Amino acid sequence: MKSLVARVVVLAPLAVPPVLHGQQGVPARIEVEPAALVLNVGDTVTLAAVVYDTADEAIPEAQVFFFSRGRHLAVDRDGKVHALRGGQHTVFVFARTPSGAARGEVPITVPFPPVARVQITPTSNQFFVGGSQRHEAIVTDLSGTVRRDITIVWSSSDPAVATVDEFGVVTGLRSGVATIRAEADGVLAQHIYRVVPSPVRQVALTASTSSATTGDLIHFTARALDDQGREVPEAPILLSVVSMPEDSVVAQFPAAEVDQRGRFVAYKAGLHTVIAMSAGQVAHHSILVTPRHVSSKIDVVGQGAVRDVRTSDLWVWEGVDGRDYAVTGTWNAAGAAYFWDVSDPSNPVMVDSVVVDARTVNDVKVSEDGRVCVITREGASNRRNGIVLLDCANPRDVTVLSTFDDGLTGGVHNVFVYQNHVYAVNNGRRFDVINIADPRNPRRVGMFELDTPGHAIHDVWVVDGIAYTSNWSDGVVLVDVGNGIAGGSPSNPVRVAQYRDVGGATHAALPFRSSSGKFYVIMGDEAGRDADGPMGREGEQGGTPDAMSGYLHFVDFSDPLHPEEVARYEVPEAGSHNIWVTGDTLYAAFYNGGVRVVDISGELKGNLTYQGREIARFKAYDPTGFVPNAPMSWGPQPFKGHLFIAEHYSGLWAVKVRETEILTP
Amino acid sequence: MSARSPAVWMRVALVLATASELSLSSEEAKAQTPTYWVYVASESADEVSVIAFTPVSGIQVEKVIPVGFWPLETEGPHGLAIPDDGNHWFVTLGHGVPVFGTLLKFRTGADTLVGRVELGMFPATVAVSQAQLAFVVNANFHGDRVPSAVSVVDVPTMVELARVRTCVMPHGSRFSPDQSKHYSVCMIDDQLVELDAYALVVVRRLDLTARSDRTMQGPPTRNADHPCTPTWVTPSPDGRRLYVPCNRGDVVLEIDVDRWVVVRRFTSPTAPYNAEVTPDGRRLVVTQKGSAEVSIVDLLSGKRVAAIPSSRRVTHGVSIEPDGRYAFISVEGVRGEAGAVDVIDLEQLRKVASVDVGKQAGGIAFWKKTYR
Repeated sequence: MKSLVARVVVLAPLAVPPVLHGQQGVPARIEVEPAALVLNVGDTVTLAAVVYDTADEAIPEAQVFFFSRGRHLAVDRDGKVHALRGGQHTVFVFARTPSGAARGEVPITVPFPPVARVQITPTSNQFFVGGSQRHEAIVTDLSGTVRRDITIVWSSSDPAVATVDEFGVVTGLRSGVATIRAEADGVLAQHIYRVVPSPVRQVALTASTSSATTGDLIHFTARALDDQGREVPEAPILLSVVSMPEDSVVAQFPAAEVDQRGRFVAYKAGLHTVIAMSAGQVAHHSILVTPRHVSSKIDVVGQGAVRDVRTSDLWVWEGVDGRDYAVTGTWNAAGAAYFWDVSDPSNPVMVDSVVVDARTVNDVKVSEDGRVCVITREGASNRRNGIVLLDCANPRDVTVLSTFDDGLTGGVHNVFVYQNHVYAVNNGRRFDVINIADPRNPRRVGMFELDTPGHAIHDVWVVDGIAYTSNWSDGVVLVDVGNGIAGGSPSNPVRVAQYRDVGGATHAALPFRSSSGKFYVIMGDEAGRDADGPMGREGEQGGTPDAMSGYLHFVDFSDPLHPEEVARYEVPEAGSHNIWVTGDTLYAAFYNGGVRVVDISGELKGNLTYQGREIARFKAYDPTGFVPNAPMSWGPQPFKGHLFIAEHYSGLWAVKVRETEILTP
Repeated sequence: MSARSPAVWMRVALVLATASELSLSSEEAKAQTPTYWVYVASESADEVSVIAFTPVSGIQVEKVIPVGFWPLETEGPHGLAIPDDGNHWFVTLGHGVPVFGTLLKFRTGADTLVGRVELGMFPATVAVSQAQLAFVVNANFHGDRVPSAVSVVDVPTMVELARVRTCVMPHGSRFSPDQSKHYSVCMIDDQLVELDAYALVVVRRLDLTARSDRTMQGPPTRNADHPCTPTWVTPSPDGRRLYVPCNRGDVVLEIDVDRWVVVRRFTSPTAPYNAEVTPDGRRLVVTQKGSAEVSIVDLLSGKRVAAIPSSRRVTHGVSIEPDGRYAFISVEGVRGEAGAVDVIDLEQLRKVASVDVGKQAGGIAFWKKTYR
């Protein structure tokens, strides 16, 4: 139904030559009929517009143009409006005369379609006395859209038999028949339950271990049993936990958690009791959890200071001469990469540098044999960025072997070198595979790009022939580039698996196989601050530091086709950046939060930050840094017993993590 | 002297209004020393600078406005435009996180952000019409060489109304003086594209490399070598001519709008990039990236009458104030160098002032003239 509201849209005249003000023909306003509309989905109506000049005379020769935004409302050039989806819409109207222009808007309201269907889940027909289970109601409107904005009213036909609360939780009270109803905007769904006496006579609850430390995952198994000891699989079981932590203080976060698959983890040492309930039967199982005792200290060993520009990534390797070297990049500076002799970590010595046409050398990598270094270029003066291959067999005399920018002009933000190939992130859209078997003549042999709308890629890391790519909202995507699991090769990358990121911030992806046997991929966020407005002057030389946000997601890829996000590690006041894993130890740069060394042994669950897993933390304070006394950790790399760190504001650092000492009172 | 465009009239009105605010008659105002205000974007510094140039006392950076949203990312402010009423300035960010760029709308003077809309891949040059439509070319400088589009944004609401597909790597965005037509060029396709600025459809295309200049029929075709690589288009004040620098061809093309053919070619070594015609229509000011200089071309004779070295390498944009006396030139610099704004006196044909701004100065627009 149309509601035609007679209202004049008065519009100010737009820019016109001042000498023409008040003259005929200068458009001053557009009068649209109707001036506002209410249309139902599927309705059409044609707008009529008359343009008036500053003397309030109609300008019949004026041309009028209509536009709409998006695909929920269509308008053609003749002003014919077609309502396609519910919502508040606008038709934009423009008028042109030889003397000027005018602009107007017509608001159009399209009510959402009425509810067409309500569906209740779950839908078994039998319910046990004493049992409780939450139900959901899925509301779909006439356009097929699932609606989450409509209040659902739950009711039971016989509350003496079964009740239902406002959240859809049904509880069986006595034998009989009860109809559970969910009503949404007058549309009703109902489900008839036969409530029967529960056969459940006991609940058996067992744990996978009898002792644990904080952060250890314990598997609880709960089974509902009848009077013969037989399992009653259709009986729902609810698990919960109560805790008596050792250091209880006011306003603690929960000391432990257990999910409905029986996976338990404790954040606090103390006595924890898992409770299993099914159809009125209850079982308890208590477990004593002790502190994890992994904390240690970090000692500063040395610094290769870079204070006049900001440092980006690093790579540390053993050179062909047997000495140890590092290369660091520079960020929004003058296109330099620095080479360091770090054989004595207490005294990193810059032994050479290379300057290319760029403002940022964001990433630096080195071939497995230590002979070829690859640096990325962004901000080249000719906008041809790409990568530069360097002969770094002698890091004291690094020379340019070749540049490769064909198709990579948009800037290469990150690269990885693996078995004579460079995997280069191209313009944030895909990765290109460049063969560098002859580093003086690199050649592209393959590429991989997602096909999702608005897709983007940030980084790529290759292990065992699988490229682990980080793709913002597309999350982590595993690509076979030679592993063989999907028949892939460098020239024919084949997608293997994916885990999406609902937060849309996937910036890094690093795989590791835990000593527990689980295979995880760490999916690292990079998130800015609240972006309501432009940032200030943070991060400028001598100023105040930047700050980031975002955390590390741990995704269990043991079954690549069914990845599951199981844990996180966060530094609340900072955001994650580059990461490294050796054995069961995570080294994570958290920008303004410094570097964190974290015990990630065992199966992982929950928020690792609060499980006593942090071994050590390091914050680089350089009083004469680019930004003084401000840690801004870019990337860590453990190497030969030391941890090397690229610090954005102060260069290259070498530190050493002490052995953990457990103090026994 | 050719007829003034509406844009020029509005700038004159703005100047008069400013003088009036200071209780000066227009004659008195003219007797005072003017100060010219210019906004310039620095692509590798994520900032926009407000420049004040007073012929007697020199040039200075009055204010620096950060425009990046993302710490530790260079988002690349590229194109900058100030509509005729002078109330707002618009700047494109080449890319965001993850990839798509945006158009930002700020209030002039206060320099507060008042609007924002995400557009395509690397939105570059922007121009705003009297109908309050911003035309932004999605240059997609670095992506696959596939046709891109001109985004059309309703600036009161900052809603993108249309994306008009044009060609591969569109760049430059200027209106005809009556603002009924919009012009852009295609760096890879070597084309000039004319849009109806209200119907938002492509009206004509011109192959800038054809041996016999002609209007193109049908969809764009690809010039494999793109020997022209046009980077800009600007109209003459009377709207009868268009000027297109061929960045690779080292030439500036003069196009007869009615006949839609190239009628003259001005040699412009090397790598001409942006251009603007003086308000009297007599001279063409061309920035030359390659030679780091500014060429002044006498449009009557077709001769280059001056080549003025820029203060740094990679000369980028030009904006001429409405009186036509001064041209403001943005200069990028390379690597770690600062950017710069040079001021060229178009009567004396020499650089009269320069000031450092953030790295990779690019988009530049004249704001107003005041007396103080």
